[in-house]
Amino acid sequence: MTNLLYRTILMSTPLLLGSVAEVFSERCGVMVCAIEGIFLIGAWGGFVGTYLTHNAFIGIMLAILCGTALSALYAFVTVTLGQQQVVTGTALNILAAGFCAFFQRVIFGVPTSPLVIDTLPILRIPILSNIPFIGTILFSQNIITYLAYLLIPLSYYVLFKTSLGLKIRSAGENPVAVDTAGINVTKLRFLTVLVAGSLGGLAGSFYTIGYVGMFTTNIIGGRGWIAFAICFLGNWTPYGVLFGTLAFGLADALSIYIQAVSTSSYFPREIVIALPYALTIILTVMRSNLRVPAVLGIPYKKDN
Amino acid sequence: MERTPIVELRHISKYFAKVVANKDVSLKVFPGEVLALLGENGAGKSTIMKILYGLYKHDDGEILIHSKKADIRSPMDAKKSGIAMVQQHFSLVSTHTGTENIILGNTKGYIPISAYNSKIQKLANEYGFDVPVDVKIEKLAVGQQQKIEILKALYLNVNILILDEPTAVLTPQESETLMAFIKSYVKKGNSVIFITHKLKEVMEVASRVVVMRNGIVVGERQREELEEHDLAKLMIGEEIVAPVRDSSNRWEKLPTILEVDNISLHDSKNTPILTDISFNIHASEIYGIAGVSGNGQDELCDVLCGLKKPDRGKIYFKDKDITDSSILEHNLSGLGYVPLDRLRDAIIPGMTLSENMLLKNSFSGKWSNKGFIKKIELNNYTSDMIEKHRIKATGPADLSGGLSGGNQQKLVLGREVDIGTSLLIFNQPTRGLDMGAVDRIHHVMMEEKERGKAILLISTEITELFEMCDVISVMYRGKILGEYRNGELNTDNLGLLMAGIRPEGL
Repeated sequence: MTNLLYRTILMSTPLLLGSVAEVFSERCGVMVCAIEGIFLIGAWGGFVGTYLTHNAFIGIMLAILCGTALSALYAFVTVTLGQQQVVTGTALNILAAGFCAFFQRVIFGVPTSPLVIDTLPILRIPILSNIPFIGTILFSQNIITYLAYLLIPLSYYVLFKTSLGLKIRSAGENPVAVDTAGINVTKLRFLTVLVAGSLGGLAGSFYTIGYVGMFTTNIIGGRGWIAFAICFLGNWTPYGVLFGTLAFGLADALSIYIQAVSTSSYFPREIVIALPYALTIILTVMRSNLRVPAVLGIPYKKDN
Repeated sequence: MERTPIVELRHISKYFAKVVANKDVSLKVFPGEVLALLGENGAGKSTIMKILYGLYKHDDGEILIHSKKADIRSPMDAKKSGIAMVQQHFSLVSTHTGTENIILGNTKGYIPISAYNSKIQKLANEYGFDVPVDVKIEKLAVGQQQKIEILKALYLNVNILILDEPTAVLTPQESETLMAFIKSYVKKGNSVIFITHKLKEVMEVASRVVVMRNGIVVGERQREELEEHDLAKLMIGEEIVAPVRDSSNRWEKLPTILEVDNISLHDSKNTPILTDISFNIHASEIYGIAGVSGNGQDELCDVLCGLKKPDRGKIYFKDKDITDSSILEHNLSGLGYVPLDRLRDAIIPGMTLSENMLLKNSFSGKWSNKGFIKKIELNNYTSDMIEKHRIKATGPADLSGGLSGGNQQKLVLGREVDIGTSLLIFNQPTRGLDMGAVDRIHHVMMEEKERGKAILLISTEITELFEMCDVISVMYRGKILGEYRNGELNTDNLGLLMAGIRPEGL
């Protein structure tokens, strides 16, 4: 039970980072449909950086850089050029998959045994980690998870208590109002997408550096899209997505747990693997009265 | 003594693609005055003001502020020069509060929201604005939203306020409050530029009038020389002759086209929307329904056109029960409908004029041959329509969304008049339109009446009803309060009935 909940928190971490990234960008009107690709390139960058330097910090930095770079490309096409977001996102996701597979091969060739890196060490928070049960679940995690904890109140504060947050939220509701208030909508959206990309890159690196210790091209396996869906489920609020990610983290942990313990063959493994994905569909359908940002997905073009 | 203008526009020209929006426009604004910018829709009034406000860039000419050349590239520049504009379509974030809208872009870092709320509420009270600033915009009435827009400007301490058709969305009471505000605002030495096409407002509030037509300034009048007839002629460029109503009551002897028999309608919460509505319309009769907006007129139209089914009652059209007929059957049986919200119910802005003409006829086979659109015939028909109703468009391939409101309305009018071979239903057909378009619509209604069509005119404009209708009834809270021959009522009585009060002796 403790182990299951520990894993829930563990598996929630990247989803949380990714969905908060979406919350920011979607609040300002841009869906980051390239989130799956950003996760993947982050995972790859994190792996490469760590493998080559044996330094997880450099790995994480490279992951963030890769995620930001891909989101910069996405922002250029969708925000600056005002192109369709879904199509652009899909194209960049395919690009990221090809890019990672190609350069993985270029850098490492075809190794005979899988390349592994050390996963991030567990940081026990003094005192707090000694609390029975809770200490093990919450306070014996790695650094990225702690960052994700901090991110929730921080992003709530930024979005709802500061001038910057007001600008971001306004840009997703009525960019004309933002423009006439003398704020550059394109710049605001571009920078927000970059921040989302860096968070997405960090989230991706969690899979390689924080958890598996290896890179495969299918390592993300749609979890970027799950983060995308959680943003909707969480009604575009940081605390909303927190609940969403915990639900999915639990499903993810449960599916891994069942796969590990069930030796019998009459319970099909595929159904268990499908659990988090099935949950995405069920929860998305069930969720009603969403408060969608009014101009979500619509490029802002200024007429002169 | 020659006063110094606070703002001066010199020889401004602006082109959109090849279309001239403004040509050689020069005007001055003096401190402490209300300058009315009068003109029909599409005369270039809004364009010239958007240039001053930094939304558009002018191609020629110069702007002087306090006699110094100014380079206004964005609304922010304009505000720094003390100019703010309340546009016709408000630029407010409807899910945010008034305060949040007002401080957007004017704060840094952490927002102490309650301090801002009380500060801005104080500002609102100073100007006598009865509006809560800590309530989300979507919960406010349109008049209150406009006050928030004006507060946005006042918060920045501007001294020139541009108001673009500010009364178009207001109730008469709200308009009065606005006029009172304008008068007190300019008394403090500020200036207001008031864009409008309504002569009445100009007469009431303007210290000076500049009239525009087709992108140029065609005249300027001081307060003392204002005269309605003269202004109308300047604005339109020709004399307007109102259609003459045939008051012989010929229609009484003609057959009944529409018979509405005791219909009632409830909404989903079981609140009555329409209660026991009955009336008849004969051929060649214009039947008017007066009433303040929102008293069930829109729902009545929905029921008559088959969009909604009444809970009780029957509707007979040319002696046939159409209560349960589909919308398509309504259309095919010769019922034309000009709805209130043309952008929602009548046209598709992203499609061309000819495609919009085809819209309601796609089933009839009139414009299609074995599933293929008869493009040439349709385009010819649309071109004829453009000419006949003087729609300002370059051709049938124009997008209907690119037309002005009046021209869109004439497009709908042309289509519906052809579809409605026996009955035409108009729901506030002239709302927000300029005089030229209103005149065209009134003439067409009279012509169709002469042709023997039955016409239902729902309107909130008392003058329009008296001018057009043979019979006027009043709708109040979903009920018909009374039915009168034109001539039996005067303006006061009709006004009282619209407020739900039955005057003595009626």
